Amino acid sequence: MRIRFYFLFFTLLGGSVLFAQNKELLYDFYEIPQSLMVNPGVKTSEKWHVGIPVISGLSFQGATSGVTVNDLFANDGIDFTTKVQERVLDAMTRKDDFSTTNQIEGITVGFRGKNRPDDYYSFGMYGETDVIVYWPRDLALLAFEGNGGDNIGRSFDLGDLNLRGEMINVFHFGVNRKMSESLTVGARAKLYSSIFQFQSIKNSGSFVTTEGQDNIYMTSIAADMQFQTAGVRGFYDILEEDTGTTKKDIKSLFAERVLFGGNLGLGFDAGFSYQLTPQTTVTGSVLDVGFIYNNKDVWNYTLNGSTSTEGILVYLPEDIDDLDNDLWQELVDDIDAALPHGENQKSYISFRPVKAYGSIRYDFGEAGGNPFDNCGCGVNDQGGGSNRDYYPNSVGGQLFMMKRPRGVQAALTGFYQRRFGRVLALKTTYTIDKYSFSNIGLGLNLQAGPVNFYILGDNLLGYSNIADSHYASLQFGINIISWNDN
Amino acid sequence: MKRSFYLLLCITAVLLLSQSCTEPQDFSQFDDLRITPTLATGLFYMESDEATINDSGSLSTFYIQTVNFDAFNEQYVAEHLIEGTITYEIVNTTSKQLRITLEFLDEGGNTLDAEQFDVQADPSGTNIWEVAYGPGGKSLDILANTSSLRITVTNLGDTTSVSAQSEPKIKFRSAAEFLFRLK
Repeated sequence: MRIRFYFLFFTLLGGSVLFAQNKELLYDFYEIPQSLMVNPGVKTSEKWHVGIPVISGLSFQGATSGVTVNDLFANDGIDFTTKVQERVLDAMTRKDDFSTTNQIEGITVGFRGKNRPDDYYSFGMYGETDVIVYWPRDLALLAFEGNGGDNIGRSFDLGDLNLRGEMINVFHFGVNRKMSESLTVGARAKLYSSIFQFQSIKNSGSFVTTEGQDNIYMTSIAADMQFQTAGVRGFYDILEEDTGTTKKDIKSLFAERVLFGGNLGLGFDAGFSYQLTPQTTVTGSVLDVGFIYNNKDVWNYTLNGSTSTEGILVYLPEDIDDLDNDLWQELVDDIDAALPHGENQKSYISFRPVKAYGSIRYDFGEAGGNPFDNCGCGVNDQGGGSNRDYYPNSVGGQLFMMKRPRGVQAALTGFYQRRFGRVLALKTTYTIDKYSFSNIGLGLNLQAGPVNFYILGDNLLGYSNIADSHYASLQFGINIISWNDN
Repeated sequence: MKRSFYLLLCITAVLLLSQSCTEPQDFSQFDDLRITPTLATGLFYMESDEATINDSGSLSTFYIQTVNFDAFNEQYVAEHLIEGTITYEIVNTTSKQLRITLEFLDEGGNTLDAEQFDVQADPSGTNIWEVAYGPGGKSLDILANTSSLRITVTNLGDTTSVSAQSEPKIKFRSAAEFLFRLK
C-alpha cells in the first residue's frame, strides 16, 4: 500500500521536476531545430542540423491541477489525515488530474534538399511516455468515508475512474516547404512502436445504498467498466517470474518493443507559418493525429452488470419449506453472477493525444542585418527587408489545445522574444491553463559556432518550492547546426 | 562589453532554470494516514403473514432457520473492524405477541451471543433496537467468530385471532453499520 502510494506521488507529482505536453516555449522558437517537432511548418533557416544522440531533446513534465506534494507532505505539524480530508477529498474534483509526460529524442537529423532548397527534410526517433490519471473522486470518497452514515442515499459514480498511459517509440520523417515568401507548410509522418499502453476511459455506473424496499438498506450497483492493457502483461510476467535473468529479460523485451516488436501505429503532424505582413506572422499546427492498433500482449479486464441487494430475504409462507442454510453464499453467488467480471484479449485501438497549436507573432525593433544571411540555402534571401529575422523583438500569443480522455485541455500563452544576433535568443512566456495561473517560463537558445544549446523552463515561480508547484517542465538539448557549406 | 552582457544573461538564465528549491518534505507522515470508512448493509429480512402463524397450530415456534453467515468472519473484515452497530427493526401488525431470537453461532454451532426481541401485538408501532459492538459495546469477537445465524420466531399468543389490519404481518429487518480501519 505504502509503496503504491509513493509510486503514485513520485511518478505523478514528484515528476514535477520535469515537462508538459504544452511546449509553449519551444513553439515557434525557430532558432531551435526541435521547433520543427511542434510545428512542421515553422520557418527554417538552417542548411542542416544533427542532434547529439539522446541529448538533443529531453523534455519532462509533471502536473497536478489539484493537490501538490507540499500540500500533503510539508512538515507543518498538521495531522496528515486532516490534510488528506481537507486538501484532497474536500477540494479535488473529478476534473482534476495528475499527469506526466516525457520525451527523449534518440536521433534527429535535418537537411535542406540539394535540388529543392526550399524543402527542409527532417527525420529521427524519440521515445515518449505519457500518463494521465483523473482524480477518482467518488471512488476515493467511498474508500475513505464508506457508504454508511451521511452517505446513505449518495450515488457514487464509478465513471470517475479514468486513466490512460503509454510508452512509445516514434519514428518520424517530415518535410518543410517554403511555398512562397509568406507561406511555409510542413508535414510529418509518424510510425509508432508501442512499448506498452493502458487505459480505462469509458467507465460508467454507480454504487448507492438507500432505504430498502423491505429491509432497512438496499445496496445497488450498476457497472460498465473496463481496463484495457497492451504490452503490460509481458513485463508483468517477467517480474512475476523473478528469475535470475529478470533485468536482462526486461531489457530484451523493451528493446524488441522499441524496434517494432510490439504494437504498431500510424500518425501525422501538419503545420504552417504565414506572414500576414512583413512584421506579423500567424502559425498553426496539429500533432499526433494517429492511433495504435493494439493486438499483441493484450489483456483487458471487465466488470459489467447490475444488481441490488437488501441482504438475506425470507418470505413466509413461500420460504417455509426452504431449509437451505447456504442463503448467505447464495446471495454472494447471485451478486457475483449479476456482476460478471472477466478478462479477455480483444484487440483495441488507442488514439494518440492529439495536440494543436496556433499563434500570432508581431516582430519589431530596430532593423539590423539578417543573422542568417550566410545560410547558403537560399530560403532567406529576401529583398526589401521583409525577412522576419531582421527584427530582434517578437511579441505575440499562442493557443494550445490537447485532446484528453475527459475533453479538450487548453492553454493560452503570451510571449516576448528577444534575439541577440545569431548567438543568443531569449523567450519568455506567461501561460494560463488548468494547472496554473502564474506560469512564467524562460527559454534560452545559445549558438556557439555550429553548436546549438537550448534550455527551456516553465513555471519558474514554482521553482522556489518545487514540491508546491502544480506544474513544472524542463526541456533542453544540444544540436549541431550549419548555415553554410562548411 | 556586449559579449559580457550576453554571457551574463546566459549564466543567469541557466542558473535560474537549474537552481530549484524545495521545502523539506516529510514523507513518513503517510504512516499517520487513517482510512476509516463506515460501511452499511442490509443483513437479514424476514416477514410472515398472520395466516402462516395461525396455520402452525400448536407449534409455538413457527420459524427456525440456521443460515451460514460468513460476512463478519472473513479474515479481512475480522482484522479491520473497529466498531459498529447492528440495528433491528420489527413491525408487528398481527394480533399476536411474538418473540424473535437471533443467535450468533461459531463454526462448531455453539452460541456466541443471542439477541431476543419481544414485540406486542398490533398496534405496537415500529420497534427499533440498536446493538453496539466494539468499545463501549459488545465484544467484536462475537462478530469475528460468527459463522452462522439461527433465527427463531415464536408465537407467544393464540393461533386463532385475526388482526383488524388488512394485511397483518410480522416484519423483521436488520442492518449493520460498521467502522473499518483500512489503514
